[in-house]
Amino acid sequence: MGSQGQSRLSAGGACDNIAVMITDHPGPAPPPPPPPPPSDRVEPAPAWWHRLRSSLHRSGSDRVVSGVAGGLARRVGLPSSYVRAAFITLVFAGGIGAAVYLALWALTINAVSDDVETEPLPDHRRLAVGIMFLGVLLALRGFELWFGDGLVWPVALVAFGTAAVWDRREAKNGTTARDIIASPSRTRLLIGGAVLIAGLSRLFASVDVLAGLGPVVGAVIVTAVGFMLVFGHWVWNMASDLATERRDRIRSEERADMAAHLHDSVLQTLALIQRTDDARRMVTLARAQERELRSWLYGSGEGPAADSFTTALTAAAAKIEGDHDIPVEVVTVGDAAVDDDLNALIAAAGEAITNAAKHSGAGRISVYAELTDDAVDVWISDQGSGFDPAAVPTDRRGIADSIRGRVGRHRGSVEIVSSPAEGTEVHLTMPRVAP
Amino acid sequence: MSDVRLFLVDDHELFLSGVKAELAEQFEIVGSAGDVDEAIAQIRATRPHVVLVDVHMPGGGGLAVIGNVAETNPDVRFLALSVSDAPEDVIAMIRAGARGYVTKSISPTELVDAVTRIADGDAVFSPRLAGFVLDAFADVFPQPADPELDRLTPREKEVLRQIARGYTYKQVARRLSISVKTVETHVSAVLRKLQLSSRHELARWATDRRIV
Repeated sequence: MGSQGQSRLSAGGACDNIAVMITDHPGPAPPPPPPPPPSDRVEPAPAWWHRLRSSLHRSGSDRVVSGVAGGLARRVGLPSSYVRAAFITLVFAGGIGAAVYLALWALTINAVSDDVETEPLPDHRRLAVGIMFLGVLLALRGFELWFGDGLVWPVALVAFGTAAVWDRREAKNGTTARDIIASPSRTRLLIGGAVLIAGLSRLFASVDVLAGLGPVVGAVIVTAVGFMLVFGHWVWNMASDLATERRDRIRSEERADMAAHLHDSVLQTLALIQRTDDARRMVTLARAQERELRSWLYGSGEGPAADSFTTALTAAAAKIEGDHDIPVEVVTVGDAAVDDDLNALIAAAGEAITNAAKHSGAGRISVYAELTDDAVDVWISDQGSGFDPAAVPTDRRGIADSIRGRVGRHRGSVEIVSSPAEGTEVHLTMPRVAP
Repeated sequence: MSDVRLFLVDDHELFLSGVKAELAEQFEIVGSAGDVDEAIAQIRATRPHVVLVDVHMPGGGGLAVIGNVAETNPDVRFLALSVSDAPEDVIAMIRAGARGYVTKSISPTELVDAVTRIADGDAVFSPRLAGFVLDAFADVFPQPADPELDRLTPREKEVLRQIARGYTYKQVARRLSISVKTVETHVSAVLRKLQLSSRHELARWATDRRIV
């Protein structure tokens, strides 16, 4: 059993390399894989299936209809225009081309990227492929899968003539008609054009409807169609270049916008930080910048509403943080839309934060706000020097007016706890009336 | 220097080396990793006490690290360390099993304190995390399905409020006239409730805030 498994394994390995072996190392043929053991359960997909799926993709960048021809061309190393010509020719051989195309389209998936570049087929192999294709055509003709000599051969001439003209290998960088005509493939261009015109003329002679139009009209149409087929390539390139250019321009505008914003904000702040010796000032600058950058990056729609208590309190704290170079940490629980009461409370809280920033000497101020259905509480704490509330003269307007007065007018109350060891905590509370 | 074995996971090289420098004197740093797969393999190999783990990393982030390591090494403790203080990140990390969550703006001494606490089997609540938890467990929700599990006790709430107000465990203990040990017990209980429960309110809270 074990040896059988082994031989199957190696046969599989040989299968993987079969293409290489035939083309590069004509040696003894690999042993045929043993017949699959009879089994009534569903077999996994055979290896050739995976090989096809993994090696043949529809091309994303080189596509006219769905990228099948482009992908196949990339796989075998032929210019895609010839592969397309082959498909078109085969369409007239009893519709085989359409059937094969549809089958390949169904079996393959879109390439994730077109980065993989297959080595182009050398000239003698290319000739071999051409002769093989001719053989296939003759075989189909023998089987009478054929729409008639007068149709298939001229179509083949037109298709391959056009393919030679459109061969985009050398014309990759040249997009103007002059570039194409002056490219090193001029001989191919001339031969291709001649074949194309010959095919077109033959087509006109053999298809009854077209032949009935008379020689002059026929010549005009032949010239026009030939012209279109030759320069269609140029128009095609120009259109796709325009699209690329448009995309690039949009992208560069976005980049410019972002660069402008970063320059105005982050770079300026970094410059300021480099010129600052004060460590606290540095921290404040960094914090303010961080907050701004965050709101720029993530500040679209998410988070609390613009007119909410949380937003307003955070903004008030941020302003004081910037003015007084001290970090203010705001934590809120619950939220509500701002009304007159809450506005007064935020103003009072702002005054308390400012006091702490000015007088406490603490390294950080903590603000905690909690909104419930019945009440709203805000605590402003610092771990600074503290003071004796009783010792504050009554004519000091800060605490009296801006804090106690404001909150008191909205049925709230203020409690201040302070000691030299513990720092200061201001507790603002206000009942909430149901709206 | 304590005998705490510490492991660091962060995909920002600069930040990683900074934290390493700050903590190398206090703890034995047994290793560090810059991506999820390396972190999982290294943590299993080095068996640290505490892992400092970044939340946002390519390949699944801190959640993937915690999830994979917890399966094989349930005794390893995690402290999440992130620039993000978005509720969804915080709650997700805690629910995955992190014993704490601190933001990268934390001061070096606070970070040392947090790691020590985690190593002792305790939970670490920053003021903001305490706020999130209070918010999630707020009383505004209707009666929960499992009151035993889903409610915070008044004392736990009070402890969380104090932490949200910026006080350290020691200060909280003094202000509430309880021992630091009791504060730690309350905080650990809250963390357990947060991690264990298939929570009604938490789910609703998350939905309300468009987290899930």
